[in-house]
Amino acid sequence: MKPRMMAGSSGDTKNPKIKPRPIVRIGIFLISHSIVVSLLCFAAGIVALILLPLFAKNTYISENALMPGSANSMLSSQDVKEANKLVKDIIGLKLSSEEARIEIPRLIAQHMADAGSEVYYHKFHPQMSQFYPLHFFSGSPNSGNIKENHSCVSHAINTVGIIRAPRGDGKEAIVLVTPYNSEKVELGEALSLALAYSIFSLLTRVTWLAKDVIWLAADARYGEYASVTAWLRDYHIPQFSALEKLDADICFESGYPHEQNENQIRTDVISRAGTMAAGLVFKVVDKHKETDKDTLSIYAEASNGQMPNLDLINIVNYLAVHRQGLRVKVEKLYFLLDSVFLKIVGDVLETIGKVARSLNARWEFGIPVADYIDGAATLASSMYHQALGVPTGSHGAFRDYQVDAITLEISPKVSLNNEVRILEFLLRGGRLIEGTIRSVNNLLEKFHQSFFLYFLTSPSKFVSVGVYMIAFGLLVVPLPIIAASLYCDANVLDSHCIKEQQKSGPASTNEAGIAFQSWRWLHAAKVVLVIHLWGAIVSLLPYLMYQFPEMTPTTSMLSWGLLSIASLLFLHQILGSPYSCVTVNQSPNREWAVLKSMMIAAAGIGLGLMSIINFATAQIGALLIVPMCLMVHPLKHVYRAGRLRTLAVTACNISLGFIGFPPAAFLFLKAYSEGLGSVSAGDFWNWVESLWAWNSATYLYLGLIHLPCWLLFMYVLLHPC
Amino acid sequence: MEKTRWFWVWVITSLFFRLVLIYFPENLNLGFRPEVATPLTSLRRLAEGYWLKQSSMSPYAGSMYHGSPMLLSILGPLTVKRIEGQPSHLMCSLLFVVADLVTAMLIRATGQTLQLAYSQSLRSLNLVSLLESSETLSAGDIAALVYLWNPLTIITCVGSSTSPIENLLIVLSLYGACLRIAPLAAFGWVLAMHLSLYPVILIIPVILLLGYGPDAPPRKLFLQKNSSENGNSPSCHGNYPCNEVTSQEKLPLHPFLWRPVMHFMLWASFWLFYVFVLCSISLKQHGGLLEMLKRTHGFILTMEDLSPNIGVLWYFFAEVFDFFRDFFLIVFHINILFMILPLAIRLKHRPCFLAFVYIAISSMLKSYPSVGDSALYLGILGLFINELAEMKFSFFLFCGYIGVSLLSPVMHNLWIWRGTGNANFYFATAIAYACLQIILVVESVGAMLNHDRMLRKNSTVKL
Repeated sequence: MKPRMMAGSSGDTKNPKIKPRPIVRIGIFLISHSIVVSLLCFAAGIVALILLPLFAKNTYISENALMPGSANSMLSSQDVKEANKLVKDIIGLKLSSEEARIEIPRLIAQHMADAGSEVYYHKFHPQMSQFYPLHFFSGSPNSGNIKENHSCVSHAINTVGIIRAPRGDGKEAIVLVTPYNSEKVELGEALSLALAYSIFSLLTRVTWLAKDVIWLAADARYGEYASVTAWLRDYHIPQFSALEKLDADICFESGYPHEQNENQIRTDVISRAGTMAAGLVFKVVDKHKETDKDTLSIYAEASNGQMPNLDLINIVNYLAVHRQGLRVKVEKLYFLLDSVFLKIVGDVLETIGKVARSLNARWEFGIPVADYIDGAATLASSMYHQALGVPTGSHGAFRDYQVDAITLEISPKVSLNNEVRILEFLLRGGRLIEGTIRSVNNLLEKFHQSFFLYFLTSPSKFVSVGVYMIAFGLLVVPLPIIAASLYCDANVLDSHCIKEQQKSGPASTNEAGIAFQSWRWLHAAKVVLVIHLWGAIVSLLPYLMYQFPEMTPTTSMLSWGLLSIASLLFLHQILGSPYSCVTVNQSPNREWAVLKSMMIAAAGIGLGLMSIINFATAQIGALLIVPMCLMVHPLKHVYRAGRLRTLAVTACNISLGFIGFPPAAFLFLKAYSEGLGSVSAGDFWNWVESLWAWNSATYLYLGLIHLPCWLLFMYVLLHPC
Repeated sequence: MEKTRWFWVWVITSLFFRLVLIYFPENLNLGFRPEVATPLTSLRRLAEGYWLKQSSMSPYAGSMYHGSPMLLSILGPLTVKRIEGQPSHLMCSLLFVVADLVTAMLIRATGQTLQLAYSQSLRSLNLVSLLESSETLSAGDIAALVYLWNPLTIITCVGSSTSPIENLLIVLSLYGACLRIAPLAAFGWVLAMHLSLYPVILIIPVILLLGYGPDAPPRKLFLQKNSSENGNSPSCHGNYPCNEVTSQEKLPLHPFLWRPVMHFMLWASFWLFYVFVLCSISLKQHGGLLEMLKRTHGFILTMEDLSPNIGVLWYFFAEVFDFFRDFFLIVFHINILFMILPLAIRLKHRPCFLAFVYIAISSMLKSYPSVGDSALYLGILGLFINELAEMKFSFFLFCGYIGVSLLSPVMHNLWIWRGTGNANFYFATAIAYACLQIILVVESVGAMLNHDRMLRKNSTVKL
């Protein structure tokens, strides 16, 4: 849009009578004051980000059909006593790990069958971590099974029970997941199994059930996420491969619990209930930290910053606080609680709030310092976990199938050593889960009423997309403005040059100079394209290196770096170096400015894209990239300016260039938090490996947007202008 | 020589690149993208239609296939032909690669013709100074490379959609018209119309091309020039008989030639008849021609399939009340027709450019657009690189096209797969895309008219 405006302004000088249209004038104004505007916007963006905890709203239950807590709980102490027996059975097994692996599923299956539900075993192999950087985008999770030789021992066995709803049509289901480690069962895991059992046995008897209930006792030998994701994959994507069958037959004897004749437990088929309405993963953690109430921690972040519908969290929070009297927590970054900066900001905000209230009693926007700090720490944790793109628990596996799921981690206030305490605890936890299931059972359609895009600042407060987008928008707005202003300045300079040439000698009138003028950015576009191509190559290089599994992280990291540099040199060899094409007509000032504006445009597009894929990554990335884009200036060019300014700009640029380089930034942060001794080059490799193991889009962001932007930053910085 | 070699290297590289991509179609899954394969052009639907036909049912049964029966007979056998260990649809993909190559070559040949005519007319206007040989490639070469290396073209070619064939036919008709080969122009036009209906409006530029010859500066310029060169007799100022005397001497001011146009008409009716005969033979048992017209052109006009695409119509017709539907269908289709006449009057001296504008407008307003249409008009845009050198907004348009083409799949993913977005997300990118196309058309037409003004100014200065 901007070239036009410049043309309008240049046309202005010729015939001053014609005024450009208002929108054009606004554009010209913005471009001519680009530095002030962009500084203002950037500062406003940072301030808006800091103020986000202030703008958090109280959560509310948006879907009327849910009606949490409207019915009395039916879970009786009799059910709980039954469940307690299961705890004793499991704890009392006292088996070797080999036997426990088979014996516990048998025990659970027997209880499930006794309660009167369908039961089957689900056997799976752990999947190797693989390099699928585009996986997050392909929608359906990968169905290609890896043809590897698993020994029969390496199976893990999930036990699954299904209650068919008496009032339902079998088209919808609610999933309960209780992960336990079959090799070494702890009291907490036994308790969570018992909790599930008490609810499950209750649900077989109730009449109000309209959705099927599935209880997945997930064998977490290979991690709870792996077991849940394996079951979900087989549930949604049936496999009919012959290999599978053969495998099952060979391992049949050794792999499965010995069956008793009276209850036929199927092992070869996966029974299905309907589509899943919600998933609840619950765990009991026996912490030995005394608190005044039983505590419920909610984990909600799934892969790539996806969150379950806010209504699900709302129901659990409402029932836990108002019905069962639990203390509800969400994760927060604890080290931020002692932050001096947050305390000062909180103080200021509180004071402003007080002053405002004294002026007009209806202005209520101040919050207490403690609330602010707490909210900021929670918000930071929420943002961090979303940005990382790694799910915070096995509920993340559900989100890949568009099922809303959360993990509930219940921990008792005192250690559970006597039976009365255990019974009370089980009753309370069971009633919470029963209430949640009853609420979800009322649901008429998928969760859709409430928010999917939000940050939590406390269990009962959230910042919705409409609010946090403002902070990001303000951060990113300077990019197009600066790009346009640089581009226009360069063009104006150019046309001046040509005019002067024409004045100096009419013989040297070169119309080729005028021609193609508006296409001059093509060279810069080529450079940016080549760099982004390089970014793509760099992000794909680990695939190559995965072919050599023997490498240690450090050697991998080093070879990755070397290969990246080699590929960059190679690309420049065949596609031309970035500084080559300086034609006669180009004013020297121009080339770096066009390159910079192209780089800014690319960064802006990239950030915009990322804000849709994973907002939190884009937000954190913008904090790094935007100053880089705004500040960068060729060092040679800077020296012509004043001394102080030179020093400031150079220092800023060099520090930004350091911080902007992903490995450097990572190692710097690690050294800062854990001390210099613990840092090695392999750490970055490990971190990045974890990113692609979880199919995080953050990896792609780093490789395709951030790294090319940083390299272009360096190019502009070292530009021989 | 160096330039030519360089050109061919890039052509061959682009073909090689396509071949490499064809070997990974399963990973890319482009045939399922709504941006690439529309209900009209999807090769999967074509395979389904072929299967139906093989089992002696109507290929149009079940509203799966909506293309021409002739495509079915040509491409159909190729879809079932499998080579062991190779990706499916390999033969079709190879055919599309060839089609792309031929299209590019035709664009190049058209470009050379245009350049020849352009330099001739400039020379006759004494504006040789504008004609300095550009140090890079000629416009035709650039256009061919733009077409071959445009990511949209590559995606369309690899993504198993029949758009490359449609593009080939449109370019073929333009090429035939440029060289005044009436049978070829008629053949391309009839088949393109038969396949996707919208090229029917290209009849105007084709007739103008056949009548007046390739793009030239406005006729008024030549008239002025002639009258001024014809001596000072004021009676000659701008009337025909006087001009014809001088134009025979040196200026290429051709009158409208009716002969090639009549040839074109005859050939077009012949080809049309021929196509209809072939189609009716092919569909003899399945309802005949009427059924075909209903299921192909009728399907295009009534906008039956409302699955999301990069156009703007699906969203609107998903919302509109049924009893207004016919009215709005007429309104939307007339939108394209409205612009035909004014543009034809204003740009009649530049028929090729007029064709570009028509293609761009129809690809913006058509009922099932795909990126293949954009690939075509962007390629043709390259032909006018010399005239459009002063085009504004080029940087903005470039960034916009990149941004939208990346954003669109992401929004689709958010809506369809992740379920956290909704239809508005995807439609927003469709609107942005339509706006970009509008800006492109407006700016390119503006730049072209400016170029004409510049020519007039320079020629009057020289007088």
